[in-house]
Amino acid sequence: MIGGPTPADLLLQVALPSAARPAVVAVGVVYFAVVAGISVWAARRTRTASDFFVGGKGIGLIALTVASVSVSVSGFAFIGGPGFIYAVGLGAMYIVLPAAVTNVMGAWVLAKRMRLLGEARNLITVPDAIGARYSSRAAQGLAAIAMLVGIVGYMATNALAMGVVIDSIFGVGLGWGIWIGMGVTLAYSASGGILAGIYNDVFQGTLMAIASVLVFLFVLGFGGGLGEISRTILTHDAAFLGPWGKLTPLAALSFFFVFSMGSLGQPQAVHKYYMLRDPLQLKWYPLLKTLGLVLVLLLYFGVGVGVKAFVLSGRLPPLGSPDQATPSLLLNVTPIILAALVFSGVAAATMSAANSFINIGAAIVTHDLPVAFGRRVKDELKWGRATTILIAVAAAVTAQRSGTMVAFLGIFGWGLFASTLVPALAVGLNWQGATRAGAIASILTGLLITLALETAAYLKVFRFPAGVTASAVAMVSSFLVFFLVSWLTRRTAQAAIDPDVRLVMDL
Amino acid sequence: MALVTGILAIAAGYAAAFLPGGTPPWAPWLLALGIPIALGAIMILGAARGRRGIGPLKYPFAFVVAVLAIGFCAALALPATESALSRLWVGLPARAAIVIYGVGLLPIIVLPVAYALTFEAQTLSAEDVERVRELARENRARSEGRPS
Repeated sequence: MIGGPTPADLLLQVALPSAARPAVVAVGVVYFAVVAGISVWAARRTRTASDFFVGGKGIGLIALTVASVSVSVSGFAFIGGPGFIYAVGLGAMYIVLPAAVTNVMGAWVLAKRMRLLGEARNLITVPDAIGARYSSRAAQGLAAIAMLVGIVGYMATNALAMGVVIDSIFGVGLGWGIWIGMGVTLAYSASGGILAGIYNDVFQGTLMAIASVLVFLFVLGFGGGLGEISRTILTHDAAFLGPWGKLTPLAALSFFFVFSMGSLGQPQAVHKYYMLRDPLQLKWYPLLKTLGLVLVLLLYFGVGVGVKAFVLSGRLPPLGSPDQATPSLLLNVTPIILAALVFSGVAAATMSAANSFINIGAAIVTHDLPVAFGRRVKDELKWGRATTILIAVAAAVTAQRSGTMVAFLGIFGWGLFASTLVPALAVGLNWQGATRAGAIASILTGLLITLALETAAYLKVFRFPAGVTASAVAMVSSFLVFFLVSWLTRRTAQAAIDPDVRLVMDL
Repeated sequence: MALVTGILAIAAGYAAAFLPGGTPPWAPWLLALGIPIALGAIMILGAARGRRGIGPLKYPFAFVVAVLAIGFCAALALPATESALSRLWVGLPARAAIVIYGVGLLPIIVLPVAYALTFEAQTLSAEDVERVRELARENRARSEGRPS
């Protein structure tokens, strides 16, 4: 039994085999040309800071849904995820199974209240919502700092993933791959802001869904159906198809907890709630997003299980490492045009995530941190664009330090968002008993415990028992501190809520 | 209260993993029960509207909490009998089918549909949006020093 994956298992950190065939390069070039076209169009429509950071709050339902699906998955869903299933069996599904509940849970817990707060206060960032809820610049500033620390890690890992994929498609080398990928992402992030990001996400999400469905259908056809694939695996390695795969039950359930509850604190998804043109369109948002995610995640399951069966039956050569599951299938048995679509889909997934984080990071630097110190930047659009460039360059430079350090940064990014934001934001916007002190203590607890435990684990000072992760411990601790401090300071709870925020919470 | 209970159960499950002698067999059960309770509780917290509570949403919420709890507990309790001769359920052996189709797919069919069907009554109506916009207009007028 295995306790859980290492950071490198979870992120696209390993070199992929070269896929530089003419068809793959041609589809890659077309992909980048479409991204450039959308970016030019979006840049012409971006005139204010609100346009730049939240698309002028004028994004339609379908566009927002597809964009949200696109930023919810990364290259992990296409490369690392199937490889993880190949390595540990169905236990790896506990990372994606929460998608069955997370979208509608987010809609009930956050979407309505954040969208209405945007209406009431003209808010544009996640820390804005925390600041408004608790009437506290300190809480807003702390949330912003925690998010910025997480974004540094996420951006570095996405930059490295982009480098890996672009090197695989065009054969330009990892270093150039990083700079080309980040350069293209930066170009559309700085010029068209979130508007370019959203419409590129729509294109990228559509591409990912098409590629995922086609590969899934191909795997079923090639393997003679899911039943035949399962029979092959059960004959050679029955534990693979056990309910926990080769993970311990605690490890698998821990994944479910972290990736379900933790989803309520992921700013790249939560931030999107501000952007919907009409709040009443939220009605169909969870259904459409869940269906979209299921389509995109078909590849995760299909390739992971299918490649295991094909290797066991000798139809594919043994893999050098689990991360080779998707490339091995694509380059050995699928039509080359399908391989081309998937490789462009992986590039799309990493660029989409990077764009979203660049935008959120820029908003933190030019909006949230000045607000926390009682100041406002005069030209948020101009400074937003400048900060976008700084963040992208910093991420690309950090990504050059390929290896476990970058993987480490990415792993604590997810955990940091979850442990610092979920109690203060998700519970706080729905529970009038939450207090300013509880929120600040909870954000601080999440930040310090995540940093301390992840650093101790990275330096091998401390080893977690099988199935326990720093993210899970930090999130649970942050919840408990939030409830305890709010209870201790409960007399201040009601007085700290402004009337308009109270109305939004009552609705 | 249910959210605190769920989180405490999960915390106890993790804490047990640190005991000398390794993770006790009952620790995963705490997560198998604590996770559905915590997720159900936070959904109820988000969906509740004052004195009206969660109205008809109690049925889909109860269903999903039960599906998650039964799915996890069945996976823990049922014996590992997977083999080449196992009966397959839509292509998967029984315990895997419970997890993939039960935990992973059943809530998709129920929750988003329940959300959409109860949206105007339980989540957000045009009148709600107008109330917020009206208050925002009053606040802006007050801050600009003119009558609303």
